Amino acid sequence: MNPVVALAPRFQRAGGRDSRVTTALAITAFTVATGLTLCVVGGLLGFITRAKEPVAPGTSDVRDLYVILAVIALVLLAVPLVTLGGSAARLGVARRDARLATLRLLGVTSREVVALTLVETAWQGAVGAVLGIVLYGLLLPVVGLLPFQGTTFTVAELWVGWPGLLAAIVVVPLLAAVSGAISLRRVAISPLGVARRTTPRGMGFARLLVALVAIAMFMGVSAEADALGAFAVGAVVATLAIGFATLNLVGPWVLALVGKVSLRRATTPARLLTARRLLDDPRAAWRVVGGLGLACFVAGALTVVPVLWTVRGTQDRDDAMLTQDLMTGAMVTLVVAFLLAAVSAGIAQASAVLDRRREIALQNLAGMPVELLDSVRRRSVLVPLLFVAVGSAVTALVMLLPLLGILVFTDPSGVVVLVGALTVGCLLVFAATETSRPLLRSVLADTVVRAD
Amino acid sequence: MSNASRLSGRGLVKTFGSTTALAGVDVDLANGESLAVMGPSGSGKSTLLHCLAGILVPDAGSVQLEGRDVGALGDRDRSLLRRTHYGFVFQFGQLLSELPAVENVALPAMLLGASRRDATASAMRWLGSLGLAGMEGRRPGELSGGQAQRVAVARALITGPSVVFADEPTGALDQSTGHDVMRILVETTRAAGASLVVVTHEPKVADWCDRRIEVRDGRVVGSAVRR
Repeated sequence: MNPVVALAPRFQRAGGRDSRVTTALAITAFTVATGLTLCVVGGLLGFITRAKEPVAPGTSDVRDLYVILAVIALVLLAVPLVTLGGSAARLGVARRDARLATLRLLGVTSREVVALTLVETAWQGAVGAVLGIVLYGLLLPVVGLLPFQGTTFTVAELWVGWPGLLAAIVVVPLLAAVSGAISLRRVAISPLGVARRTTPRGMGFARLLVALVAIAMFMGVSAEADALGAFAVGAVVATLAIGFATLNLVGPWVLALVGKVSLRRATTPARLLTARRLLDDPRAAWRVVGGLGLACFVAGALTVVPVLWTVRGTQDRDDAMLTQDLMTGAMVTLVVAFLLAAVSAGIAQASAVLDRRREIALQNLAGMPVELLDSVRRRSVLVPLLFVAVGSAVTALVMLLPLLGILVFTDPSGVVVLVGALTVGCLLVFAATETSRPLLRSVLADTVVRAD
Repeated sequence: MSNASRLSGRGLVKTFGSTTALAGVDVDLANGESLAVMGPSGSGKSTLLHCLAGILVPDAGSVQLEGRDVGALGDRDRSLLRRTHYGFVFQFGQLLSELPAVENVALPAMLLGASRRDATASAMRWLGSLGLAGMEGRRPGELSGGQAQRVAVARALITGPSVVFADEPTGALDQSTGHDVMRILVETTRAAGASLVVVTHEPKVADWCDRRIEVRDGRVVGSAVRR
């Protein structure tokens, strides 16, 4: 084995408490992402099985619809799942960058630096994948309690099979390694790259254009779905996925804009620091709240469900079951999306505190009150959180306008569900980020004071 | 220079586990005086600075600032004291990376209640007087080591502190740049009427100060006044 890459376990052991905390957070993120992905895929497989072997009479005409809806749920959850995995791979990136930059200065090649990171993150991904499989095993009986098509799922229906588990063990470490390698570009390019933080370049307006085009594509396709015939469902799902994915593109751009406006209006130290932090690295801010943004998009998309319920009016037994199942599926998707958002936000916020520990500690030594540091930490989440939550939900409502039409305005039940979901989701994410409060206190209490 | 004692430490003792960092140190700092605390690594000089600055509370002994017992203050009040009466220049890393130079300097003034407009105007004046006019908008990553330390000096002095503490302020700089930074630190601190405590292991840095003390094994083993 390459002697530099062979150092990976030693670095891991020598990293101290910070290293252990970030490793634990990364593994937790990979575990949750793997466990929930397997559950969602298991659910999809369950519906596919039921499409072939119906469990209830009279469901034959909507069996395929259940599969399509499960695919849509999977599409909606795919981005938050990938975002969570990406956050995990970036954990402790500042500390790791500094260490790897030192290695580069010592003559370690760019390729060896990348390999070292691949080993570290792939190892975390592998442990997370195994624990995620255990989590999936624990969740199976719980997911099985959900009633669909008039009956609950059996564990056998939700079982992804040994190939599915094997795929998780291979794919999760692979994705982790790729995300880790991407986050290392600066170090790989220049050993001094991470030592000098400079004024960030503004984000191109093109990001917004790409998102607008994607949204317009979805609206166009859904408005003309009838004309697309057999391709309608596929086209709607594909354009929905593209529109959804562009949120990750436009999100940081919007947050940078919010930062600019906040900076102009900042009159207190807390507001000034929050605005500067947002403007300095809107992508990092997006990593904290992006999961919620995506979840709120899901919530916005799901406002269609109660409206559909109303539209169908008088229903026979099959219709009633379908609408009930739609509601259950919508809520399950939303709960999973919000859980993913909360875990993403909590982990990203904890990582931010650890990455800035020296800076935070020195500010505190120089007299900056803990309350101010806490206020900045909280505001750094709350300000983008509110913009992202409302913005994403509104985007989803606009995108779905061709499908919902005037009902958005005449039947407020969907909007009521949306507002309720947004409130619960924001509170959940906020609570998750508050878990970094004791971490901040511990960083300050554990200030490294040179005892010479 | 007045002979009145602005800051004093008496019988300071501080231990970390089984290591005794300070073993009974007495030190006085007069109004407007600059004091170099010298000693090799592990001698206890930084611990002495941290005790005098109210960052650490000594296990025994007392620290008095203008007659006020610093050790008797709680954590919150010591933090307030550092904000209102002290300025700090560390070796590196005290500037917030996301703030431009002018906002790094203005921040302590804003923390004391100055409006953003007034704090910014004051910060611009400080930066100009330290030869950094035109660099107000640059972030720490876009400044050289010497420029960053001059920003740190402006940041330490903007609130009009009684005492400025500098912990190895030239430790990360080359000799020529370190010389410039020390000149600016000593001259501006003196002009502002503040006292200065500099922790260093370099005699040439200590030469800038009015007086120096030598710390070894947690005790003051020598002192000298600049001729």
